[in-house]
Amino acid sequence: MLPLRVDDAFISMAIDEALLKLNAESKSPNTIRFWRWLPSTVSIGCFQSVEREVDLEVAKRHGVDVVRRITGGGAVFHDHDGELTYSVVCKQGDVPDDIIESYRLICGGLVQGFERLGLRAEFKPVNDVLGNGKKISGSAQTRRWGSVLQHGTVLIAPDVRRMFELLKVSPEKISDKFIASVFERVTTIERELGRKPSFDKVREAMSDGFRKSLDVELVENKLTDKEVKLAQDLRPKYASEEWLRKR
Amino acid sequence: MGYAEFKAPKGVIKVELELTNDAISQVSISGDFFMYPEDALERLEQALVGVKAERKSLLAAVQRFYGSTGAQTPMVEPEHWVEAILRAAGE
Repeated sequence: MLPLRVDDAFISMAIDEALLKLNAESKSPNTIRFWRWLPSTVSIGCFQSVEREVDLEVAKRHGVDVVRRITGGGAVFHDHDGELTYSVVCKQGDVPDDIIESYRLICGGLVQGFERLGLRAEFKPVNDVLGNGKKISGSAQTRRWGSVLQHGTVLIAPDVRRMFELLKVSPEKISDKFIASVFERVTTIERELGRKPSFDKVREAMSDGFRKSLDVELVENKLTDKEVKLAQDLRPKYASEEWLRKR
Repeated sequence: MGYAEFKAPKGVIKVELELTNDAISQVSISGDFFMYPEDALERLEQALVGVKAERKSLLAAVQRFYGSTGAQTPMVEPEHWVEAILRAAGE
C-alpha cells in the first residue's frame, strides 16, 4: 500500500499504468493506493469522445484538467476537495476471470470501508457501490499484459453543480427535475453522515476494508524508482492532445 | 454522416457513420460502455465497414467480431450494437 498522494491527473494516470505494466512483468507487487486530484479533473472513459462529453470551455475557465483514462466507463468529475480515489493493481490470476465477479471482489473492500464509516453498503454490478441504497462509488477496470488495474471513486463531498456544468448532459436533461433525480440516485459520505470525515479517516476505513475483504496484509511502502521512472515516461502521453482526442 | 445513441443495459453506445450504396463505408463508435480487451473496439469498427446496414447482416458481422476476438462487453449484447448502428443509419 502506498502513501496518500495528491497529484495532477496526468501523472496519476501514468502511475496507474506504470504499476499495471510493472506488476505484469513481476517487477511490482500487487498494490493498493489512495490518491487525490490536483487540480480537480474530468476523466473520460477510454471509448468516449471528449468533444461529446466535456464542455472544454467551462473546464478551462475553472482550471479543471481533462484526461482520458485507459479504462472504459463514463466521464467523471473528480473534485479535489470532495473525492478520494483508489487504485488496485494485481495479477489477473488473483481475481476471478469473470469480469463482474472480479469487480465484486475488489469492490468488496470499499463495501467494508463504507460500513466502517457507518453506512449500509453493497456492491451493485457491474461496477458500482451503493451507500444507504444510492451510488457512492464507481469503478473501472482494465486487464492488460496479464494484470488487472481497477481504479475508482469514493465520493466524500463532491461539488455536484460543478459536475453538471462540466459534463455535457443533453439540454432536456438539465432541469431541476433531472438534478433532483440524480440526488435521489447518487449520494456522498458527507450527505449520509451529516458531516465530512477527513481524507485520512476515509483512507483508513477503506484500507481496513480491503485488508479484511481480501484477507491480505498491507505493507506500507513508497513507489519504487522503477515505478517513478516509468510513470514519468508515460505522463506525456496522458497530457497530449492526441491521446485526449483519440475518439 | 448519420449519428445516433442507444442506451444499452450498461452504457450508452454512440455511433457516427457514413453509408455508401446502403453499406457502411465509415463508422466511429464511442460511449461509456466497457469492452475487454479495449483495443477490440477498433476491430469492431473495421468489421462493420462494407456491411449492409440492415439487421441481419449487421448482427452476423457483430457476432463474427465476438467470435474472432473473444471480446467481452458486460451487459452489452450484439443486438445493442446493431440497434445503435441501425438508428445512426436511419438518421
